[in-house]
Amino acid sequence: MSSMDTRAPFQHSGKNIAQLMQTLLLALLPGICASLWFFGYGILLNVLIAGFFALAAETAMLRLRGKNIALHLADRSALVCAALFAIGIPPGAPWWLVALGIIFAIVVAKHLYGGLGQNPFNPAMCGYAMLLLAFPLQMTSWHLPNEVVEGVLFVDNLGIPIAGAEQEILSPLSWRGFKQALLLSFPFAASSDFDIKAFTDGLAMATPLIEFKMAGHSALLAARDSGTSLFSRESETAWEVINIGYLCGGLLLLYKRIISWHIPLAIIATVLVVSVLFYAPGSVSIYGTPYLHLFGSATMIGAFFIATDPVSAATTRPGKIVYGIIIGLSIYSIRVWGSYLDSVAFAVLFGNFCAPALDQFCRPRIFGRGLSRAIKLVEASNESTKP
Amino acid sequence: MPMPIPPQLQIPVGATENGTITLDVAAGDHVHKYQKLAQLQMSAQGRTCIPVHAPTSGIVSAIEEAYVADHSQQKQVCIVLTTDGLDTPLPLEPPVDYKQLTCEELVTAIRRAGIVGMGGAGFPAADKIDAAAHQAVDLLIINAAECEPYISADEALIRERAEGVVTGAEILQRASSARRCVIAIESSKPDAIQALEQAIEAQSHISGSCELILVASKYPAGSEKQLIQSVSGIEIPSGQLPAQHGVLVHNVGSSYAVFQALAQGKPCISRITTLSGQALKTPKNFEALIGCSVEFLFDICGIDKSLSHKTVLGGSLMGLQLPSDNAAVGKTTNCLIAAGSAELAPSADIQACIRCGFCADACPVRLLPQQLLAFSKTANNSQLLKHGLMDCIECGACDYVCPSHIPLVSIYKDSKAAIEARQINHERSEVWQQRFQYHQYRIKKEKDRAPTRTKAVPAKKPVAESGEAGVSVSSNGDEQEFFSKEKASREIAAAVARVKARRAGSKTATSEQDKSK
Repeated sequence: MSSMDTRAPFQHSGKNIAQLMQTLLLALLPGICASLWFFGYGILLNVLIAGFFALAAETAMLRLRGKNIALHLADRSALVCAALFAIGIPPGAPWWLVALGIIFAIVVAKHLYGGLGQNPFNPAMCGYAMLLLAFPLQMTSWHLPNEVVEGVLFVDNLGIPIAGAEQEILSPLSWRGFKQALLLSFPFAASSDFDIKAFTDGLAMATPLIEFKMAGHSALLAARDSGTSLFSRESETAWEVINIGYLCGGLLLLYKRIISWHIPLAIIATVLVVSVLFYAPGSVSIYGTPYLHLFGSATMIGAFFIATDPVSAATTRPGKIVYGIIIGLSIYSIRVWGSYLDSVAFAVLFGNFCAPALDQFCRPRIFGRGLSRAIKLVEASNESTKP
Repeated sequence: MPMPIPPQLQIPVGATENGTITLDVAAGDHVHKYQKLAQLQMSAQGRTCIPVHAPTSGIVSAIEEAYVADHSQQKQVCIVLTTDGLDTPLPLEPPVDYKQLTCEELVTAIRRAGIVGMGGAGFPAADKIDAAAHQAVDLLIINAAECEPYISADEALIRERAEGVVTGAEILQRASSARRCVIAIESSKPDAIQALEQAIEAQSHISGSCELILVASKYPAGSEKQLIQSVSGIEIPSGQLPAQHGVLVHNVGSSYAVFQALAQGKPCISRITTLSGQALKTPKNFEALIGCSVEFLFDICGIDKSLSHKTVLGGSLMGLQLPSDNAAVGKTTNCLIAAGSAELAPSADIQACIRCGFCADACPVRLLPQQLLAFSKTANNSQLLKHGLMDCIECGACDYVCPSHIPLVSIYKDSKAAIEARQINHERSEVWQQRFQYHQYRIKKEKDRAPTRTKAVPAKKPVAESGEAGVSVSSNGDEQEFFSKEKASREIAAAVARVKARRAGSKTATSEQDKSK
């Protein structure tokens, strides 16, 4: 490469991949924080476990492939992949589930295809989809700390409920919540007499999506009308607040020009248009409301963070728009007519399948090419302006 | 801005590959300032010639080939002039009022002054006007949109000599009989804009047809076709010249040189050159004499010789690294950068392309650099051509924004060269294939005719024989699809005749040998 050093251009903007990835991680923070607030430490544990195994798998693969480990680890792409993967995994999922998914993502979906920049499919979504197909039960059960679900029964030393002490719903961020989240993630750490099965069964709760899916109204608006705080865990605002968190992060990415507007806008607009088309007050229970489609599920994170993964997305501007439309249609179709609760992972993977063809067929017009009509128009307008 | 006279000048005339060089002086001659030294006659077109004049007085000490600080990257014939420091000029002819001259006379005067495109292309200015002469020129653009980082020569020229620039623009407009004349400048140069506005205002009572248009300062605003589009909205089709669409673009430096030539009678002997870079104590713009060495200019600007530096010709995005500072300044040397050790350093480690598309957003030609990179890696030439590799203007914008620090333009240059080499090879191999088939064909015919010939061939009648042979061949040849019938029969006849003559000769020789034995 030494001969390259003596050739123009000699100047560089100074941007690098690590900066991009770092900003991406930063942009994920609002959404992750919101999840943490509503669902407790489970999500954080997922992110940490995924991050750890992602780095380990990345290091191992770089070593096996004979690459410069320090250089490639520094690009932080493995961490981004881990974060995007982990926020889709239900809190309280056992550690091995998270590890399996992220190892599959990094090893199979990324490095076996040639590493960074070569993977045709979004690695995080590959890992997620693999888990969803192989472990449907674990992937759709959201374990929330006991306190959130049932409240705490204050007991005295003998285990008898204290008379008069009311059941109180505690914050999942409490110490007890943390301990439970740990036990859920690492069941082997529990003492032998601890009945993990009963424990998890008691905690198991359906995906929040199910509850909200058919709700037909905005929990945020309801909370505002009833005067409860938006961040109150008693109101059902969790998913909406989380989505708004991801939306803010996505806007940050747009502002920093790390992603272009084409894909997110195309997805959101498509989902909106289609859901408006099918919306009828009578059939809300089947089709849901447009608002719900945008804010009641993973649309925001999909549109801003997952579908915009540049490696596996379409890369031309017109291609990006078509790519977004395809994903938007898939999201809606799978949700409404398919058998999966949420559909962003499959929709994005489907988009990935289409991307190479889109890049080939949806190309911008090159400057000075295919102009015979354009020139005539300009000349005609020049003629008309001439005195 | 005027510079001291260097002890020696190395005045480039041109590369011998580019045309015929006619020297008017020989080593040992004493020359005056403005005296014509030589000219380059381009071989392709008879009219094209670029004369070269002495920037100062002195004695021609040698005529040799050397590298010049321009983008040609080939050795050029240079006239080495040992200056005498007196700067004695030839008596200049009193300038004729250019308003009295016809277009042809103006063009001739521009040609005689040796003015070339000062922006970097170095195309003779007179030829550019000539090329557009047979059709109506609607728009003449004076390109003052100097957009590359580091270069400020045009801006300096405008700030100090705006009136000359405007007059030059007017002369160019007359010479090319353009309907409209526009000076296009980037909106980020308020001083130069002000100077131009004043100059246009001052001359409005004389001519008043020159307009000033501000273009957005977005790199590469000054690239010819991009500039035409932002000024007039016309998008010049790929592979066509602006002149075909009634547009003519001249650099602002050329415009000033035209002013000097027509209004002052001076030929082109100097140009404004930017000297910049952290290795220089006082970077500035100089009116550099053509032929002075890069080293001399750096010395004037107080180069810190204790530090290593790298010399770049042109701006930081499209420049060329010069191997040494000995090269001489040519007519297109717009900027010289003495970059310090940390400046313009090679970029960080190259990483994989993540297809982020920043390059595509930056590309002024709307190419897809990320796709071109992938096709370059696999040398997929058909896809490269389909994706417009040959439309790449090598502006370097994609490199600049690439977060993976991939040297895209370098890769494209290599791909372009490979495709061109392949095309040349292809053409050559086609020629060789034809020759080979012709050869095979000839051998076959020889073989067919062999029995008749071995009987007895009179040695001295090959011509008549071959004539008949030619006719017979053309009537029964089935491989003739390769050639046009008539031509083939003629050629074959001639070839057969040659072979026969040779064989006959050798036969008689061998028979003679036999006899002697």
